[in-house]
Amino acid sequence: MKKAPLVIIPLLLFSLLVVFLFKGLFSDPRELDSQANGKPVPAFSLPDLMQPDITYTAESLKGRVTLLNVWGVWCVTCAVEMPYLTALKEQQNVNIVGLYFDQDLDPDFGTKTLSRVQQEVTDMLARYGNPYAFNIFDVYRDTSLDLGVTGAPEHFLIDANGIIRMHHIGDINERVWTNKVGPMYKKLVEESQAEKVAAI
Amino acid sequence: MKWFIFCIATIFTFNAHAAEDNFAFETPAQRAQFLSLTAELRCPMCQNQNIADSDAMIAHDMRRKVYTLLKQGKSEQEVIDYMKARYGDFVHYQPPVTPATMWLWAAPVLFVIIAFIFIIRRRPNSQPEDMAAKLAKADKMLEQERE
Repeated sequence: MKKAPLVIIPLLLFSLLVVFLFKGLFSDPRELDSQANGKPVPAFSLPDLMQPDITYTAESLKGRVTLLNVWGVWCVTCAVEMPYLTALKEQQNVNIVGLYFDQDLDPDFGTKTLSRVQQEVTDMLARYGNPYAFNIFDVYRDTSLDLGVTGAPEHFLIDANGIIRMHHIGDINERVWTNKVGPMYKKLVEESQAEKVAAI
Repeated sequence: MKWFIFCIATIFTFNAHAAEDNFAFETPAQRAQFLSLTAELRCPMCQNQNIADSDAMIAHDMRRKVYTLLKQGKSEQEVIDYMKARYGDFVHYQPPVTPATMWLWAAPVLFVIIAFIFIIRRRPNSQPEDMAAKLAKADKMLEQERE
């Protein structure tokens, strides 16, 4: 019976492999460890989508907990989540700011005019509801790149001091809000209220 | 020979595809840098393509960014660090050596070493003994049958 331990080795290796592969079944390859977490919003200077003479900077997002929503009219999932976001704004008074970027608007060859983009946005918001306090127009998609955005929709929870506290890739629906984004949002709101009280 | 020509042709069409964006470079060296960088940076959206091959918008934007950074005189490493700061280690096809990724290099080496030890330890001298014992046993059985 000296050989018994040797027989166990393949079995052990096999069970390890099974555990490894089984875990792999439930891992999400899209889930990247975001580099934005815990960092301040990168510096930017971008126009308002509807009124291009207004300019926003990273400072514009300070003072209140903000849910920054990266979106575009060409993005189907954004249209799907829009009614839910609108409900969040109306029922829980969540401050949602849009970071809008256009797919067809190639910075090197301006084929699409701003007024056309605005028209598309107005149409879409009229159809699905408007959750946004305002929309920042990321003309050259530079700020999206700085934020580590891979596509749309993506969301950033930004605390009152302008620090990114959560990066959520994908849409926000009731399940995601209840389990992931909502608790963090409430925590940040409490934090900012505590800070305000301390300041007084 | 035909196969060889076909393979060469495939390689060249691949290169032409990678350069379809029409970026103008001042020096051939810069162009080579751009091509090698876009080949080793990974698209975060379509995850098994590099940004040279991918047609996702983010890959377009990243190619444009690589181009701008190179134009500004940044080195290859600086461009890679720039992308890593935004998209994480994931974005580069060459993973850094960390406690977690160390196994990528260590596991094959360990496997070979363990296999070697296993082979050496399995001395063949036990075999004759076994055979002798088996023969004796077989003889015994034969004799039993005869009785």
